[in-house]
Amino acid sequence: MRKSKIINIVFASILAILFLIPLVWMVSTSFKSDFEAIGGGTFFPQEFTFQNYISTLTSTSVPILRWLFNSLFVGFAGVAIVVVIDSMAAYALARLDVPFKKVLFPLFVSTLMIPWVITFLPLYQQFSNLGLLNTYAPLILPYSANAFGVFLLYQFFRSFPKELEEAARMDGANKWQIFMKVVIPSARPLIATLAIFTFMAIYNDFLWPLVTTSTPEMRTVTTGIAIMQQGSFVSSYGQLMALTTLATIPILIVFLIGQKWFIRGITQSGIK
Amino acid sequence: MKSKASGFTSFLFVLPYLIMFTLFLVFPLIYGIYISFHDWNLISPIHPFVGLENYSAIFISGTPENRVFLNGLKNTAQFVIYSVPLLVIVGLGLAMLVNSLPEKIRGFFRTAYFLPYAISVSVIAVLWLWMLDSNSGLMNQFLNSLGMDSIPWLTRLPFAWISLVIATVWWTIGFNMIIFINALNEVPEDLYEAAEIDGASKWHKFLHITLPTIRPIMIFVIITSTIASFNVYGQPYLMTRGGPGESTEVLLMGIVQQAFQLRQMGSAAAMAMLMALIMIVISVGQFLVTRSGERKEKNNA
Repeated sequence: MRKSKIINIVFASILAILFLIPLVWMVSTSFKSDFEAIGGGTFFPQEFTFQNYISTLTSTSVPILRWLFNSLFVGFAGVAIVVVIDSMAAYALARLDVPFKKVLFPLFVSTLMIPWVITFLPLYQQFSNLGLLNTYAPLILPYSANAFGVFLLYQFFRSFPKELEEAARMDGANKWQIFMKVVIPSARPLIATLAIFTFMAIYNDFLWPLVTTSTPEMRTVTTGIAIMQQGSFVSSYGQLMALTTLATIPILIVFLIGQKWFIRGITQSGIK
Repeated sequence: MKSKASGFTSFLFVLPYLIMFTLFLVFPLIYGIYISFHDWNLISPIHPFVGLENYSAIFISGTPENRVFLNGLKNTAQFVIYSVPLLVIVGLGLAMLVNSLPEKIRGFFRTAYFLPYAISVSVIAVLWLWMLDSNSGLMNQFLNSLGMDSIPWLTRLPFAWISLVIATVWWTIGFNMIIFINALNEVPEDLYEAAEIDGASKWHKFLHITLPTIRPIMIFVIITSTIASFNVYGQPYLMTRGGPGESTEVLLMGIVQQAFQLRQMGSAAAMAMLMALIMIVISVGQFLVTRSGERKEKNNA
């Protein structure tokens, strides 16, 4: 029994090293000199240098700071919209006397089954017709139509105790006040779940921002790096790794902080 | 109590989402069908109605559309077949491994296996392109140090597929693992205890208690992994660029090319419709097959 436990730990550790090697190698190479980065042979930098970061951050052909700003901006804007509209809709559908709610909720949820590829091209054409390609609009707005958040919060609001709402109503609060002061605070963990799901989806999305943006200053981190990698704008591995490290830091921070809520969202979506 | 005014103010809560839903989901859905019935050149202002021609072109053998679609579908199907079993089985294996560890260190390993999931596909591609580089890549350096020959990881079959599948499993396996960890924790402990009293082996317990209990989650993971693999784009686009030749050019790459390089939005939209239809049929099929298996098992019991 004990022996098998130890074998498991050893095996799990080897796997963990294999899983983390690419990331550790990325960070360690970003601190290597060009010569050392290309030559290989060393895993950790012999000569520790910030040069790769300095040249990456000052490069004009690779505006990484602008890309980071774009990704963070559209990520946070998307999260703000999704959280507000989804929690309002989910609460009303679960608890208020919304006309046609017996039709609306199944309608919303059924769209979760629609493969995203169907709306991809017409959405592009739609933004093109409106002259909004290569702006922030397509990078933010389409994500707000996803019914995942409505579905997630609906289930929570269904089981929300009536007494709390009623107590507030007795105090003379109207629907909006009840929603803001009683309902929303109680739903905080789920809203955090929805926020981190949405942020990661937007920050890491690839094909959609790739086709809807066309100039370097409108690229997101994900698409900027892809374009740059394909066009071989960056010749040195050290710089490339500095760039990917910079691109990964924000999402890794969000992920590590929000992991708990993220995991909760995954398990919730699995229960159907 | 219920009044029209109250219904109206309640409706206002739903309205913002309903607007977004209509503008960015319902409308493009209808618009997509409309576009697929037209000869829709991306840069031409005139789009003549062509009925089902965009669809029939895909089915008539020998047309360029037919070639692009079939080649893409064949390659996407290969990726699905190679990746989904691994994503499911390795995901479950990792979950069981994490659960077998002492509670104190579980969190660390769970995070370690889940971490790559947070990273974007273009960073994944840069990292793996570099590790799989035929000359200076870590993989070939490692093989050489063992006295083995270098492998052309990205430019030859079957290695191109192997590389894409390895990178994908490394990147996304954590997601399935998390779902399985949760499912395993939901299995009632007394079922195992009862089996232990009967002297059941580990394998026996896994086969007759664990698997049947997590079956619904298993179905969910199989279906979502299949959908995700069907949507594959970034990995082959960035890592193999569809090569060698066109052998890893997946369906979504074909559709994007049709729309943006050839500017044939109409036929690209028709291809997207067919792709979605195939995905829905496969999902429903998987659901029904696994369901009927469940019923059979119950009848036998």
